[in-house]
Amino acid sequence: MSMSVTLTVNRVPHTVQLDDPRVTLLDLLRERLDLTGTKKGCDRGQCGACTILLDGRRVNSCLALAISHDGAEIQTIEGLAEGGALHPVQAAFIAHDAFQCGFCTPGQIMSAIGLIDEGQAGEDPERVREGMSGNLCRCGAYRGITEAVIEATRSMAEDAQEKAA
Amino acid sequence: MSTIWLQPKTLPEALAMLAADPALTPFAGGTDLYPAQAARFAWGEALPEAILDLGALPEFWGIAADATQWRIGAGATWAQLRDAALPAEFDVLRAASCQVGGAQIQNRGTIGGNLCNASPAADGVPPLLALDAAVELASLRGTRTLPLGKFLLGNRQTERAPDELLTAVLVPHRAGDLRSGFEKLGARHYLVISIVMVAAMVRMEAGRIAEAAIAVGACSAVAQRLPALEAALRGSRPGEVAVTPGQLDHLAPIDDARATGAYRREAALVLVRRLLARLALPEALVA
Ligand SMILES: Cc1cc2nc3c(=O)[nH]c(=O)nc-3n(C[C@H](O)[C@H](O)[C@H](O)COP(=O)(O)OP(=O)(O)OC[C@H]3O[C@@H](n4cnc5c(N)ncnc54)[C@H](O)[C@@H]3O)c2cc1C
Ligand code: FES
Ligand code: FES
Repeated sequence: MSMSVTLTVNRVPHTVQLDDPRVTLLDLLRERLDLTGTKKGCDRGQCGACTILLDGRRVNSCLALAISHDGAEIQTIEGLAEGGALHPVQAAFIAHDAFQCGFCTPGQIMSAIGLIDEGQAGEDPERVREGMSGNLCRCGAYRGITEAVIEATRSMAEDAQEKAA
Repeated sequence: MSTIWLQPKTLPEALAMLAADPALTPFAGGTDLYPAQAARFAWGEALPEAILDLGALPEFWGIAADATQWRIGAGATWAQLRDAALPAEFDVLRAASCQVGGAQIQNRGTIGGNLCNASPAADGVPPLLALDAAVELASLRGTRTLPLGKFLLGNRQTERAPDELLTAVLVPHRAGDLRSGFEKLGARHYLVISIVMVAAMVRMEAGRIAEAAIAVGACSAVAQRLPALEAALRGSRPGEVAVTPGQLDHLAPIDDARATGAYRREAALVLVRRLLARLALPEALVA
């Protein structure tokens, strides 16, 4: 059964031929589009390393079939920095040493962007920890991660205010 | 053999596909299905050959009220249930929705998938039992409605026939001073499979409990209501009736990797007491 799927990844449209409908979004990104920034930690929804934004919402790309999402907009870690300028969440992760080995980091950052966009957690550390609970960090950098997410929440709100003013 | 992937655009089309090939595996959020399949695949077993993708069915997603009941589409996600403006009796389901997996799972996992997967630890089941929910099943043969307690038969066993889809969860309207809540015990705070969970809904009238509905999960193959406790509470003032181990006698908790049966029984008692005490507080009215 041959089929094709068209996805807009980081604002660039891609049409990919699939020879099996069971290819996950994660495998498609990594194996077919060579976007290996999105990591495969567990391949079963438990670690969050594969988190991407699918039509603006954070999901585990290892649990989604690519073929189901024909026409979808996808954002991955590779699409965040603009012209060499880091995304505020990326900058905050560096400022707060929010990683050690870095394997979980792309998923943490995509999840943090989803969380900030949902606007539910604000700057409350407990709500941030709860909202980030779908992302495990085996190096235990949680403290820095929580601080980075809070700082990015604040700086992005300030930027938005400046733009509006 | 080549694999099959079908994505019907309407419910009648989906039911016709399923009638023609009842071996098709319905696929909603995939958050139960895919990890289970991937684990089997890792052991050398083949992935499913034929998928019926429910993701494009417009009938599946909405949450709406008619004159007699709430109708929650089977495809409603935990995120939708968490964020929907629903009345106080649904606090129990909202609290459960916040505690299913992490946000990524909540964005994809559906209530219909949770019920059809029929895990003893499914967090959607005790809240819906406490709300006297029913499920709607559709096939080309027609539509039927079953109380949730009759739909769930055992560990991963349901009344669903191979040619049927679960289309909606139905919850009757209620009026009065309603309070509801959920307590989940896991080995850590978040992203965890329940060791025990308790759901309760009470209706207060002039300072007394007019009606109580309490369900305990992960302590039997299918979550159970506590009829003896519910009867004892009726007409009492909060705190007046003690919760006793005897009222939980019909539970049959097992020993497994997460806890022993004896621990589960003890924890269930503590959680029931804790939840009832919390619902009795005046603050529960505004929570
Ligand atoms: C990391 C992780 C954490 C999790 N945490 C929790 C948790 O805390 N609590 C909890 O209860 N669950 C948890 N789950 C399990 C799962 O996310 C939920 O049970 C979810 O609600 C399943 O819904 P789904 O749409 O993804 O189901 P799917 O995987 O798509 O389907 C599940 C089953 O139901 C069938 N099915 C689905 N929809 C229908 C339908 N409409 N009609 C007929 N059959 C149907 C499928 O064929 C399949 O057998 C977790 C899973 C993961 C991966
Ligand atoms: S790789 Fe997807 S959650 Fe671990
Ligand atoms: S930085 Fe190593 S797993 Fe998070």
